[in-house]
Amino acid sequence: MATYQELRAAAEEAWRAVVQPQRPLIRVASGTCSRAAGGEGTLAALRGELAARGVEADVMEVGCPGLCFADPLLEVQKPGGPRMLYGHLTADKLPRLVEEVLAKGGNAPDLALGVVAEGTVEGIPALDSLEWMQGQERRLLANCGVIDPESIDHYVARGGYEGLAKALQMSDEEVIKEVLDSGLWGRGGAAFPTGRKWDFLRQARGPTKYMVCNADEGDPGSFVNRNLMEGDPHGIVEGMIIGGYATGASYGYIYIRDEYPLAVERMQKALEQAREKGLLGEDILASGFSYDMEVVRGAGSYVCGEETGLIASIEDIRGMPKIRPPYPAQAGVFGKPTNVNNVESYANVPLVLRHGAGWYASVGTENDKGTKMFSLSGHVQRVGVLEVPLGTPMRDLVLGNGGGVPEGRHLKAVQPGGPLSGVIPASDVIVSGDVGIRLEPQPFKDRGMFMGSGGLVVMDDSSCVIDLAIYFEWFAEDESCGRCTTCFAGTRRLLEILRRISNGEGRPEDVEIMNLLADTMRYANCVHGQAAPTVVMATLSFFRDELMEHIEEKRCRAKVCRGLVRYEVASQTDALPAATDICPTAAIVRDNGGYRVEQSLCIRCNACKELAPEAIEVVDAFPA
Amino acid sequence: MGLGARHASRYSPVELLEGDPHLIARIKDLIADLTSDHADLLVAFHRVQAEMGYVPREAVPFLAARFKTTPAMIFGAISFYSEVHTEPPPGTVVEWCSGPACLLKGSMNIRRAIEAVIGCGMNESTPDNAVGLRLVQCDGTCHLAPLVRVEHRYVGPLTVSDAIKLARDLKEGKKA
Ligand SMILES: Cc1cc2nc3c(=O)[nH]c(=O)nc-3n(C[C@H](O)[C@H](O)[C@H](O)COP(=O)(O)O)c2cc1C
Ligand code: FES
Repeated sequence: MATYQELRAAAEEAWRAVVQPQRPLIRVASGTCSRAAGGEGTLAALRGELAARGVEADVMEVGCPGLCFADPLLEVQKPGGPRMLYGHLTADKLPRLVEEVLAKGGNAPDLALGVVAEGTVEGIPALDSLEWMQGQERRLLANCGVIDPESIDHYVARGGYEGLAKALQMSDEEVIKEVLDSGLWGRGGAAFPTGRKWDFLRQARGPTKYMVCNADEGDPGSFVNRNLMEGDPHGIVEGMIIGGYATGASYGYIYIRDEYPLAVERMQKALEQAREKGLLGEDILASGFSYDMEVVRGAGSYVCGEETGLIASIEDIRGMPKIRPPYPAQAGVFGKPTNVNNVESYANVPLVLRHGAGWYASVGTENDKGTKMFSLSGHVQRVGVLEVPLGTPMRDLVLGNGGGVPEGRHLKAVQPGGPLSGVIPASDVIVSGDVGIRLEPQPFKDRGMFMGSGGLVVMDDSSCVIDLAIYFEWFAEDESCGRCTTCFAGTRRLLEILRRISNGEGRPEDVEIMNLLADTMRYANCVHGQAAPTVVMATLSFFRDELMEHIEEKRCRAKVCRGLVRYEVASQTDALPAATDICPTAAIVRDNGGYRVEQSLCIRCNACKELAPEAIEVVDAFPA
Repeated sequence: MGLGARHASRYSPVELLEGDPHLIARIKDLIADLTSDHADLLVAFHRVQAEMGYVPREAVPFLAARFKTTPAMIFGAISFYSEVHTEPPPGTVVEWCSGPACLLKGSMNIRRAIEAVIGCGMNESTPDNAVGLRLVQCDGTCHLAPLVRVEHRYVGPLTVSDAIKLARDLKEGKKA
């Protein structure tokens, strides 16, 4: 059996071809995000162009470096030259890129985003100088977009599995102490110290114990776990093996949501490769420690992200959460002691072991050490995945990295970390004379909310908070497992009330009823029901004016609630025939007086206004 | 040690009900290597659905026998997961993202418009099952919001008028 040093030496050999290519090396981002934006077409066009022109080059698929806003992404590195990242590179631009950059030896600066790492090129900025990169501390993302996620050699050559090799030289308690000292807490939402959780399992009795990786990432708007699984799967595998060693677990499950087929594929491949290299299975690296694991693919259920629901789902039954205690460390998968951690929590562990707890804790704040990945989406100029030290002001991400809301709009709120987390009003994000709310758990707790698992959905003033609350309450109701009435009926009642309000049928007593419901729902069996009213409560606290406007004046200031607006023809313009044609319900009719909207047919889909913005006006359905 | 081992004593064995023998034989082949005691039921659902596009109801008693549990447990699991379908998929599926970024960028307008054009509601299909609409969760492709997927191909960012044109083409049998 190979030792770690032998594995490393062989891997470095393979990696040398990548670092010092003898012919052009082209990296094509192939995460779900890049593929969705046309990345597969880009890859096919690239291969076609290279063949057609007889250009000799190597093509390598890599994960997403996080710049989703510039997808499809492609990077060119010529022998002896710097790495250059190109963005928005749809298939149609490939002929030009191959011609200018590879056939003629130019750089096509107008297509370039930046120069990656060392080197400078006339007319192209350094990637690190882009607004998107400011303030980032890319530890977990270091391999994403750099290595081939399907090559274990690439991972090993860059220091991968060194943490495991070190851990295997230590005692279980020493490993746990290192994790405790790093200050690492769980990234899945509850922020519980990872080292402490591991120690519960270590101390649990029983011949069979399990490690579980929660890769359900059900919070809509969060896609940081996906990014890691698709871009650097071995980091998670390594973290879980270390966890297995430290806790005495012999088997692991990686539970991945059904919506992430590429992540399933890459994690499965990573497990196979680790097994081939003797990093999984019997007697890992000749340490005497044996451990293996498998991927479980979910089937579409949010509450399967809750740890007891997830365990039930692994066991083949409906993935319904249970009352805790018992906690998984006492009775988890098949009733055996189990540890459940989030993808990002595990991915941090190899870094802690490799570089030490001191290094790990060198960024972050007094109470919150290390980095956190965030996915930025919604009303921002730049959508993508980034990694910053804990405690970074939210403002920096929204306004700086993300580039703020679209021109002419104002920031209204930021929705962090999923349906249970809440809504942060703009006044807490942009505070004069202060940096505003920071990205660490406490300030969210202080407001009765949660930071959550990494999603940050930005809202500008074109959005309506009642509409958002309806969405999240619908989600919570739809995903409620149905075991406790408190949750399934509570979410349904909240949803009914909100829908009524958005239809102009709000009643003064609704506020009180919603408060009562939220109080009652604290007694739900699991956190899903307990936290389901968080968004509604945040709306009551921070957007009360807007809510009362809906109830008392039957008015939606953002003109989103469809029961509170009407579409009218305000002036007869040339664009109206096109608007009439597009209307899916033939609601725009023409009679003697010209065009008008037949209200009984109009479904308020806004298509007409897109085509005839001057002619069509959205007005209050209940004028003052 | 899984469901089979834990529940076998609590539930009496299930008799295999008659289904279409061909169908049952195919499903039997598909899951031949799975075990009844090792977290394999979801794998069975995925394999059957990948092959047939759905998990036929007739398969429930067979699966129950195969996994040493009751039909109610199997059907309970099927109905619990939104990505396990019990009806044959429509000819063309339009998947509509229900996520927050898409919502903020007007996905509700798109939903209303395509429902009106296709003539069916969400998670329904046309009477001839040629076109159907499916609600899906955010998969983190929010840079394309608001989006739909037509036969797994992403279309976005969409305007409502683009969505209407797309839906009209599908309705007329043109694959977009
Ligand atoms: C309804 C609900 C959904 C959850 N979804 C997830 C999820 O998708 N991913 C996750 O890691 N944790 C999720 N959690 C939190 C888990 O229950 C658990 O706390 C977490 O996986 C522990 O890992 P950590 O300590 O590494 O954060 C969810 C919790 C609830 C109540
Ligand atoms: S909200 Fe639609 S892809 Fe994220």
